[in-house]
Amino acid sequence: MSKRIEAKNLSAQLQYRAAGNPPSTEPHTAISNAFPGLEMDFRNVWKRILVGIELHESSNFVVAADDDAPPKVKQLALHYRLMRVEDISVMVPVTGPLYVGGPNVSLPDTTFHDPLWPLEWSNALAKIVHEFSGKKVNCTFESLPEDPKKKTVNVSLTVRPFFDEADVEGERVRRAVIAKDVAEPGALSQSLCSPWQNDYRECACFYWAATRPDYVNVEARPDGTSGGNNWMQKERTPQTPPVYNVDDWMDPNLLNYSDLFRDWEKALRFIIGGKDEEPPPEAQ
Amino acid sequence: MPPEQRDFHLFETEFGAHVLLVNGSRVFTIPFEIARALEGYPDDSDALLSRLGLSTPEYVTGEPPTAIPIRSLSLAIAQKCNLGCTYCYAQEGGFGSKEKDMSPEAARAAVELLFYEAAAGDRVQLTFLGGEPLTNRKLLRDCTEEAAALAEASGVRVGFSITTNGTLLTPEDGEFFERHGFAVTISLDGVGQVHDRLRPFKGGRGSYDRVLANARPLLAMQRRMQVSARVTVTPDNLFLRETLDEFLSFGFHSVGFSPMLSSPTEAGEMSSADLAAMLDQMISCGEEFERRVVRGERYAFLNMSNALAEIHKGTHRPYPCGAGAGYFGVSAEGGLYACHRFVEDPVGAMGDVRSGVDRASQARWLAGRHVHLQEPCRDCWARYMCGGGCHHEVIKRGRPACNYIRGWLHYCLQAYIRILERRPDYLPQCLIRLPL
Repeated sequence: MSKRIEAKNLSAQLQYRAAGNPPSTEPHTAISNAFPGLEMDFRNVWKRILVGIELHESSNFVVAADDDAPPKVKQLALHYRLMRVEDISVMVPVTGPLYVGGPNVSLPDTTFHDPLWPLEWSNALAKIVHEFSGKKVNCTFESLPEDPKKKTVNVSLTVRPFFDEADVEGERVRRAVIAKDVAEPGALSQSLCSPWQNDYRECACFYWAATRPDYVNVEARPDGTSGGNNWMQKERTPQTPPVYNVDDWMDPNLLNYSDLFRDWEKALRFIIGGKDEEPPPEAQ
Repeated sequence: MPPEQRDFHLFETEFGAHVLLVNGSRVFTIPFEIARALEGYPDDSDALLSRLGLSTPEYVTGEPPTAIPIRSLSLAIAQKCNLGCTYCYAQEGGFGSKEKDMSPEAARAAVELLFYEAAAGDRVQLTFLGGEPLTNRKLLRDCTEEAAALAEASGVRVGFSITTNGTLLTPEDGEFFERHGFAVTISLDGVGQVHDRLRPFKGGRGSYDRVLANARPLLAMQRRMQVSARVTVTPDNLFLRETLDEFLSFGFHSVGFSPMLSSPTEAGEMSSADLAAMLDQMISCGEEFERRVVRGERYAFLNMSNALAEIHKGTHRPYPCGAGAGYFGVSAEGGLYACHRFVEDPVGAMGDVRSGVDRASQARWLAGRHVHLQEPCRDCWARYMCGGGCHHEVIKRGRPACNYIRGWLHYCLQAYIRILERRPDYLPQCLIRLPL
């Protein structure tokens, strides 16, 4: 008979908070996006999922190999990327229109400039984690597109158990906690967003739905159109014409990265009810 | 069963004490001490759940959904029938008015309406009902082919289904349904004379032998097509286990049971005692289902596999079905109604296939039918699994089946835990098989 509370069905598992985790780890309390993320960068849990190598968090590129790895594995570092695990391709061709209404074409990846894109690992590797935890899997690596003699390496690597195991009241159980070997101390909070200095500028166009206003001081016009300002527009006053400058970090009318790194807390204004906040009395 | 609570339901199995938390339909195994504490905390269970880390914001609010796209239509392509079943909500096919066929123009408008709001990758469902839909076979085929062509051109995925009395089915129909991957449901109310008494031809002759002879070629050819049996349970056919086993032995893809709660003539309606007898039979079928699942065998008792899949997902919904939301019934004349049962009934009228959904009627319907406004549902632990019961039956007769529904869900929750413990591989598979 159970001495613990066990989440059985899927909705119970989703809401479950593992012992020791803070409230912000529940879906309804987390802020905005999961990667790069404000609380953690979930991509980092996959970097060490295959024993012996470390992958880049977003490109399947092998960034390092363990010191005690065999030579066949060591050669992968900085020269190869992971293409396939068992029967699952983790790099796939992606096609689509380059502009609205345009024809479907191969979309070049921005890192290696070839038409293959890395799949998001939480989905792509779910079957591998489920079926091969602690077991060997066949992995295929290829040298980078810039290598004129494209080389392929097939090697068998062990899948690190993803979930932590522990003895709870004399019983060995798998817990809803990420195993220590998968994410070493600090790994989950590497590569987080720094929204004020960087990501609010980087990810415009309504990406930050809750926290980054895009279009402010908006006024509806009788003809059905509207006017207003870009949140990134510099030195606005109530007299600034309500004209939206399309986002472009090179535009001198808009805040650039340097402005934000130096002075984000003055440069970015609070928006209340869709409008710039009133300046504090001393500033008036 | 333990005393009824509003926000949780305690149950036990040989694997321990368990609780269904109504908010989010979440199922937990809990220590017995916690179960006992919850029993003693009816007024202050919130505080205890919060202390245990089990409280969470309300999954279902009182706010009705708005701007729901149409995802499913059922076409009453023939408001007429060659059978004379006494309990039929369609009153022998005509829904209380003159027998008629749907016009090709109304059918085309319905199919176009179904695709109008769907984008590539979306899934829509087109169902043929009646009356007996096969009395208007040509229109059924034309509509299917038109919808398949629209799907091909637009990238929208379309599913087809038909509910038929089986008396007019031909092998050519089977080939057509196979080609388009139909879910074919044949109404069969029992074995032999039991069926004949409930579902006679209008002249009084039994229909069982004809239906089975017609169904056999389809059962043999089903690949993409799925041919299932649906049994309407009345006080005269409470032999569920025999019926289930007999129909499964014929090769039906699944067999499902549904109690007759409301008929226009009150004929065949189930009393509380009948529903209690039906619950015993349902549980007997469920226990056989559990034995078969543990042995790794298929036993396609549809009520059970559906209930387990819904419990496993934690389905929580403020309505019993999509009627009047993403699903509508279309009358022969092209009227839109909350579902196939409300055809020709002003209570469920919601516009027309030519002018689209009457959004004001729909908004009134969704606001009024929300389970938070239903009595006694608003205080029932089963409210987000049951959704308040079939709108049509409730509006016509009320809620005579609450104890039956709660009893069935209580059993299914126990069976869920047992299957999860004994065959943990069953449920994820079962989830994958759910329709989208």
